[in-house]
Formats: sequence, C-alpha cells, structure tokens
Amino acid sequence: MSTILAIDTSTSRTSVALVADGKVLFTKFHEDSLAHGEVLPKLVKEALAVNKDIDLVAVGMGPGPFTGLRVGISFAQSFALGLNIDWVGVCSLDAMAASINESEFIVSTDARRKERFWAIYKDGKRVSDPAVSQATELEKLGIPIFNEGDYFPDPVLLANLVPNTKSVEQPIYIRKPDAYPLPVGVKFRAMTTLDLVVAAGIEKEVYGKAAWSNAQFKEEFAKAPKDAYYLAAEAEGELIAYAGIFFVADVADIHTITVVEKYRRKGVGRELLKRLIDWARVKKADAIMLEMRLGNDAARPLYELNGFVEVSKRENYYGPGLTAVVMRKELK
Amino acid sequence: MALVLGIETSCDETAVGIVNDRKLLANVISSSVEQHARFGGVVPEVASRAHLEAMQQVIKQALKDASVTLEDIEAIAVTAGPGLIGALLVGVSSASGLALALDKPLYGINHLSAHIAVDRLDNDASMQPTIALLVSGGHSSILQVNNLATDVIVKGATIDDAAGEAFDKIARIMGLGFPGGPVIDKAASSGNKDAILFPRGLTQSADLEEHRYDFSFSGLKTAVSRCLQQTPNYLKADVAASFQEAVVDVLLIKSIAVCKDSGIDNLVIAGGVAANSRLRELAKQRCEVANIALRIPPAGLCTDNGAMVAALGSLAINEGVKPSQTGLSADSAASIAQVIW
Repeated sequence: MSTILAIDTSTSRTSVALVADGKVLFTKFHEDSLAHGEVLPKLVKEALAVNKDIDLVAVGMGPGPFTGLRVGISFAQSFALGLNIDWVGVCSLDAMAASINESEFIVSTDARRKERFWAIYKDGKRVSDPAVSQATELEKLGIPIFNEGDYFPDPVLLANLVPNTKSVEQPIYIRKPDAYPLPVGVKFRAMTTLDLVVAAGIEKEVYGKAAWSNAQFKEEFAKAPKDAYYLAAEAEGELIAYAGIFFVADVADIHTITVVEKYRRKGVGRELLKRLIDWARVKKADAIMLEMRLGNDAARPLYELNGFVEVSKRENYYGPGLTAVVMRKELK
Repeated sequence: MALVLGIETSCDETAVGIVNDRKLLANVISSSVEQHARFGGVVPEVASRAHLEAMQQVIKQALKDASVTLEDIEAIAVTAGPGLIGALLVGVSSASGLALALDKPLYGINHLSAHIAVDRLDNDASMQPTIALLVSGGHSSILQVNNLATDVIVKGATIDDAAGEAFDKIARIMGLGFPGGPVIDKAASSGNKDAILFPRGLTQSADLEEHRYDFSFSGLKTAVSRCLQQTPNYLKADVAASFQEAVVDVLLIKSIAVCKDSGIDNLVIAGGVAANSRLRELAKQRCEVANIALRIPPAGLCTDNGAMVAALGSLAINEGVKPSQTGLSADSAASIAQVIW
C-alpha cells in the first residue's frame, strides 16, 4: 500500500490529490492565480482529514508563473521533510498531457506577457523540452494545441505518473530572472543645478527644436523637492544621461529619460526608468504616465516590458506633425 | 518553555533558527547577497530562487546544530511580512508544510518585531516597557514597546529613506559596493568624522513641532552627493566617516528624546544598522550620560536571521497568543502594529 499526496501550483489553479495504489481518495482544486500560498495548506489539511498516512509527495515542478510555482514546491519539500518521506518532482505539462488522447499535440499554459509555456507530445510521450514562446509562434507549428483553461495539470494523473518518472529536482523556470547588471563604469546620482548647463546642451543635441532650455529646467527644479525627482548618470566624470519624474494628483508623470547617443543600448535608460518607478511607488502613486514621440521605437519595448500600455495619442504635441503617444502603467 | 523553529526569507537571507525559550540553539543563514552585488541591489526573483534552493539544507543544518529532531520541535514561526512577496512566500509555504506534517502550531510573525525580540535571547533581564530604535535597510522607526507580542506603538519613523537605504545609496555613489552598511563602516574607520559637517535632518526647531521623533535622510543624501561633486579629490574615508556620523547622531538624538519624554529609561537598538560600529559606540556613550539602560543585540543577530523569528514565536507562546490559522498568507506591506498573524 502506497499513498501519494500530489500537489500542483503551476497554473492559476492550486490542486491537491491523494491517491492510494491508483485509487483516488481525495482530489480538489481552487482557481485563483494569486492565492496559492493561502489555499494550498487548506486543501492539504482537507486531504489529511481523509487519510493522514502518506508515503510519498509528488509535486508539479512547472513550468509556471514563478511565485505560485515555488509555493507548491517549497510546501511539498518541507511537508516531506516533516514526515521524513521522499518527494518526487514531475513536469506539470506532463500531468496536463496525460488526459489528452491524440497522436500528436501541444499543451500550453499561460506564461504571462502574452507568452505560453509549452511542450510537444507524440504517442503519449513528451518529445520536446518545455519552452516559452509567443502564442502566435506556437500556432505556426501547425500541431493541435490544448490550452490551460480547457485543461489543467491534474494532480491525480500527476500521482499516477510517479512510477514511470525520473524525479525533476529543480523548478522548471525556463526564463531567467528579469535582472540586468548595472552598466559598467556608470554612476547614478541625484541631478543638481550644476548639471543643468550640460543637460541643456544634451537636450539640444537629442531633441533639436523640441529641446528644453536651461530656463525650463530651472523652473522644473524649483518645484518642491518632495514632488519631483531628478536623476543623473555620469561616466568618466561626464554627464551622459538624466531622467525626471514629478507627482501630481495621485499620478506620477515621467518628464524625461534622456541618454546621449554614445551610451544608448547599455542599460542606462533601463536603470533610470527602474529608479523612477521605484520613486513613484514610494510616493504611493496610483499610476505613472509618460509621453513618447511616435516613431521612437527604440524606447517603446523598454516601456512595454515595464508594464506601460498605450492609452492615447496627442497630435502635434512635439511640434507640427510630431505626435506623442501617451503610455500609462498602473501601480495599484 | 518551548522549542521553536523560526524561518526568515523576507529579503535575501534564507535563515532558520532554533530557540528553547530564551536559549539560542541554532542560527543558520544562507545569503544570496553576492548574487545581488552586481545589480547594485536585491533582485526579488533572484532572491526568491535562492530561497527555494537553500531552504531544505538550511533547515537540516539548523536541526543538526541544535542537536534536535523535527519531532522535538513544539512550534514553527515564520516571517509573514513585511518583505518581498515572492521571497516571503517561499518561507511561509515551507513553514506551513512543516507545521501540517508535524501537526504543530504555526506562528506568522512580523519581521520588524522579530528584530527587537532577538534581544530576549541569552538574556534574562526583562525590559518592558522599552523604547526601541529599529534601523535597517527598509525601516527606521522609534517604537514604544509595552508588550512586544501585543502592544507596540510607533513614536517616530522616517519620512523618506530608511537609514540603511541611505548607507546603500551613498556607498553606491562613492563606488564602495553593496550592501552599503558594512563597506561604509569599514571606510569610515580610518576617516575623520568631523571633516565635513553634513546636515542633521529634522533637528531644526521649525521641524520639531511636526516631526519631533521622525527622521529624514534624503537631504543628507543630496548634501553628500553635492559634496562629492564639488570636491572631486575628496578623501573617501573622511566622507564616509562624516556621513556615518550624521546618520548616527540623528538616530540617537531622537531615540534619547523619546526615552526622556516618555519617562522610559530603557533603549533597545535593533535591525541591520545596529551592527554599525559607530552607532554602537556612540549609543553607549550617550546612554551612559543620559542614565538610560542600553541593549544592542550582538552584531551577528542584528542582521536578518531565523533566531529572531523563533525568539518572537517563543515569546508569543509565553504570552498565550493564539497560533495562526491554516492558510497563513504573506503580507509584503505589513505594518509594525501587526505583530502576530
């Protein structure tokens, strides 16, 4: 007699099953992509009320959104440690595929950011490593796709996979953490009035007629320090970038993020944006807004990656024929 | 008397401590700080991954160090907040798994209160009520602790940066590295603390009315960066020492003022910044003069650790506080008022 406690938190579902030699003693799930941590112990407690003699823990190792995924794995590992029993890791997509009867198919789950986690199955076996791709890329493969929503990793099937599975020991993250080393040799600091003359020069170089003058900068600077935040970046003792944000009526407005030509695409803008967002969070802003010149494609992916969404366009904003795209990021 | 295992994962330290009431039995810490150094700050996803990777080994090592088994443990305590949500959830889930498997009570506890509770360890004297100066990378507050498990009042707090944050930022500007506390402490050791007179935030009479016990470090930060800019050939040691002196001076002026005004002549200094050598030295001098009994936990217990979590868990048991419910959640923005969940 061997009783398996099976857990999966790789999707919006938290699911738990108790299976004894193929017989299902308990199975239950809860749908809430933000509540794995609260729900999992409750479901396991219910399962323990049915049968508390457990011989093995099986847990879905993903792929899946990281925070929820780790809840299941961390709980499963410590639960097994507490009972002094073994745990076995299973690819969550396999537990989803096990309920599908097709000769060749793809299972795919939500990876957020308009992307999908997926793997290909043929004659009941996984024939590709789990991967992450845009949904549109996946459709191009021309293989039937079974999506999260219609199907989920089933904890009963996950338990049934255990005898034929080599344990997956590490979480299947696929994506690397969204972290970038700071640009080498670049120092970030508060912008001061001493930077203004150089900044006005950079403005002219980068924006031509739409540039801010020294006087306009000074006016911005004169605002109460608690409502505005200006940052400078320097390399080899010279100003190479600056950024500013101000806070008006619950919304923080990014006034500029400007990097000199030579230092672009080195992560300077990314770091400045990150610091502006951090500042807005500390100020408890509801949202951050920014305007970007239409056609400024170099910066747009950076904003989108950081959660900014286009909300409107303003024609002739930067001068005749120059349209501004207004983007907004919700913080609440 | 209770044997309590405490788990801490609110930031970048995966830590497990075991205490038997006031006796410290084990304190194991696995830090991912080196992984964060090249990013100039803690990266939440990197920290969360490191927690999961280290957790099982850290628990096992703590049990080994304490020479106890999991069956001996009478309660599990875990940091439920404040902290990084993804990081907290690794610890809370692990603690929930242990508590359910062992059928033992679980206490979700406040990270900030735990920093103060660590003072209970290997220390018989009772200091309640007490004034507590809590200074770390994320927090700078002065608290009146009537009962640490049930009754904590906030007397003052920072209105902008935390003291530890100011250390991190200045260290970054000066190119000294991360985290800022230890590197500035070290650089300052050979510098002249009186070389530059940096501003002491919220100590002018105009500020005292509204912010009598509050801190502000953003003006100091600006003053230091302006000074660095205007004098490119500055001596790092002198700037570090003068900056450190400005922070420490204000922390103590305000803490001692709270002690005097409230008539409570006990002061506990806790949190990561309490490991700062100048703060420890000057606190000792000034408290002696002011006739205030001072306690600062050993430097090794000031930074994040699991023993402090276990210490607060054991205090909660002593005070008859109810354990947390099954399904304890993490609260990244928990206030100091919420001590036990």
